[in-house]
Amino acid sequence: MKKYIPRPRAREYITILLLVLEVTVMGLVNKGIFSSINMTQVIQNAAEMSLICIGMNMVMLLGGIDLSIGGIMGVSAIVAGYMIQAGVNTGLVIATAVMIGVAFGALNGFLIAKLKIPDMVATLATMNIFRAAIFFLLGGKWITGLKPDFGFITRAKVLGVPLILFLILALYVLFYWLTNHTAFGRRINAVGSNEKSAALCGIRPDQLKLSAYMIIGALAGMAALLYISRMGSVEMQIGANINTECIAAVIVGGMGVGGIGGKSTLLGTLAGVFFISFMRNGIVILGIPSLLEYFVIGALILTSLVVDIAVYMVRNHARPELGGQR
Amino acid sequence: MKERIKTLLANRTILLLLLLMLAVLLISQFVPGFVSVENLLGVTQFGAMLLLLAFGQTIVVIAGGGGVDLSVGAVMSLSGVLFGMLCTKAGMGIWLAAGITIALGLLMGLVNGLVTSYLHISPLIATLSTSYIYSSLALYLTNGVPLSGFAERFAWIGQDATLMIPNQVLFVALPISLLMLYLVNHTKYGRYLYAIGANATAANFAGVPIRKIRCTNYMISGALSGLASIVMCSWLMTARADAGSGYDLSSLAVTVLGGISINGGSGKLSGVIVSVLIITIISTGIQYANLNGIWQQAVLGLILLVSVTINQLLIMNSQKTSRALKKQMVAIQK
Repeated sequence: MKKYIPRPRAREYITILLLVLEVTVMGLVNKGIFSSINMTQVIQNAAEMSLICIGMNMVMLLGGIDLSIGGIMGVSAIVAGYMIQAGVNTGLVIATAVMIGVAFGALNGFLIAKLKIPDMVATLATMNIFRAAIFFLLGGKWITGLKPDFGFITRAKVLGVPLILFLILALYVLFYWLTNHTAFGRRINAVGSNEKSAALCGIRPDQLKLSAYMIIGALAGMAALLYISRMGSVEMQIGANINTECIAAVIVGGMGVGGIGGKSTLLGTLAGVFFISFMRNGIVILGIPSLLEYFVIGALILTSLVVDIAVYMVRNHARPELGGQR
Repeated sequence: MKERIKTLLANRTILLLLLLMLAVLLISQFVPGFVSVENLLGVTQFGAMLLLLAFGQTIVVIAGGGGVDLSVGAVMSLSGVLFGMLCTKAGMGIWLAAGITIALGLLMGLVNGLVTSYLHISPLIATLSTSYIYSSLALYLTNGVPLSGFAERFAWIGQDATLMIPNQVLFVALPISLLMLYLVNHTKYGRYLYAIGANATAANFAGVPIRKIRCTNYMISGALSGLASIVMCSWLMTARADAGSGYDLSSLAVTVLGGISINGGSGKLSGVIVSVLIITIISTGIQYANLNGIWQQAVLGLILLVSVTINQLLIMNSQKTSRALKKQMVAIQK
C-alpha cells in the first residue's frame, strides 16, 4: 500500500513552495485573493489548463511539444457547440468532442512518429491549419447561449468547493498511477530518460509518441467541453493562449527539456498549473498592465530553465548534451 | 522515368522554379493583368521583408542542433516599435535611428544565442519564450496603438521604385542577398555552418567553434529582423506592435520549402530565395482574391507540412539506398 503514496521529487517540492509563496505574497498585498468568489474563479479558469497539462507533461517527457492543442480544443468546442444547438444527445456530444481530439492528436502523432517530422514544425503547421478550420466553421460569428446538460460540472459545488477541483484531482491521481505504476508509464519514463537505450531494450518510442499525442488530443477535447460549460459560448479566439500557458506550467513544474529531463513530473505540473493560474489572477489584482502578461510568462519559462540547467551543471559537473541535439 | 522524377525532385532549385511558374500561371487565370513585367516586379516588394527574415531563419536551421528561431517576428515587431519611438518621439535622424535599431535587433538575437548555445536551453522553447517577451514589450510600449509621424521622405525606401524595381528590393534585399550568398557559400563561416549542421561531434573534433557559430547565427538573424522592421515601417509609414506576427511561421515555411533540411546541414540559399518568391506570389494572389489572412496562414502551414514531409521522405530514401549499397559492398568483399 505504501508504494502507492505519491512521493514528489525535490524539484516538485520547489514548485509547490513557489506556489505557496506566491499565494501568500499576493494575499499580503490584497486579502481579496482568499475570498471564496476569487478562489472559485481561479479554480474554474485552471480547469482546462490542468487537463491539457497532463498530456503536455507526457508529450514533453517524450522530448516533444504540442503547439496545436489550442486549435484542437477550438475545433472540438465548435463542433460540440453546434451539436448542442441542434439538440443532440449529450452522450453523443461528449463522445464526438473527445473523438475529434483523438483524431487530430493522431494526425499530429502520425506526422511526428511515422514521418519523423520534428514536433515543433509539425504542430506549428497543424496549429495554423486548425486555426483556419476554426475560422471556417465559425464564419466570423459566435456560438452563444449554450446550456449543455453537463454544465453542472463547472458550476456545482461540493462542501463549498467547486466540483471541478475534485474531478481534476481524480484525473491527476489516475494519470499519476498510469505513469508511475504501470508498464505503459515505465516505458514512457524510459524513453524520456534515454530514447536510444529504451529502443534497444525493445520499447518502441514511435508508438508511445503516437499514443501520447492521442491522449493530449482527447484531453483537449474534454477541455473544450469544460470551456463550453464554463463560458456558454464559443468565439474565434478560443484556445489562443492555452498553448503558452500549458508549456509554461509544465516547465515551471520541473520538466527539464533538452537533455536534463527524463522524469514524469505530474505533481509539479499540477502545482505549475495553479502557479500560472494564480499569476494571471495576480496580474489583474496587483494592477500590472495586462499587456505585460506574456512578458512575465516568457521570463518565467526562461528563468525556470536557466536555474534548472545551472543546478544540473553544478550537480553533474558537466554540461547537458548540446541543447536539443539530434 | 521514375529515376528522372527523383533527380528532378532532388534538385530543389529547378523544382522550385517550376513551382514558381505554376503559381504565376495559376494566379494569372484568376487575376487578369497579373502577368506583366511591371506588376510582377511590383509584387516583389511584398517579399523583401520575408526574404530578410528567411535568411536569418535559414542560417539558424542549417547549423542544426534543433536550431530554429521562432522569435524573428517578435524581434521585428519590437525593433520596429523602438525605431518608431526613436524617430517620432526622440526626434532622431533616420540614419542614426536605423543604425541603433539594427544594433538593438542584434542584441535581441544575442539574447537568443546566449540562452540557446551557452545555456543549452532547447532553441524551440528558448526562442518561443523570448518571442513572448519581445512581442509583449512591443505591445506595452505602444499600448497597442500604431505609432505614426515619420518624415515624409522616409517613404522612399518602402513605397518608391527605381527603374520599376521597388526600392526595398533594389537597395536592401538585393545587396543583402548577395552578401548572404557570399557569406554562406564562399567563406570559412559558411563551411563551418554546414559542418556543424551535418555532424556537430565531428565538427567539434575538427576544432570548429560550435557555440560561437550558433550564437552568431542568432545575432545575424536578429540584425536582419531589425533591418526588416525598418523596411516594414517605411512601407506602412507606421510602427505597429503586431507588424511581425505570422512571420515566424512564414519564414520557417519558406526555409523548409527552399530545401533546407530541418535537421540541419544541407540545403541551399538559392532555393530559399526562389521559395520566398513563390510564397510572395501565392500570398499576393490570396490578397487579390480578397480572402481572409487566416487562409494565408493555413496555406503556409500546409506548405510547411508538405515540404518537410518531402524532405524527410527524400532523406529516408537516400538512407535506404546507401544502406543497400553498403550491403552490396559487403557481399562483394565476401
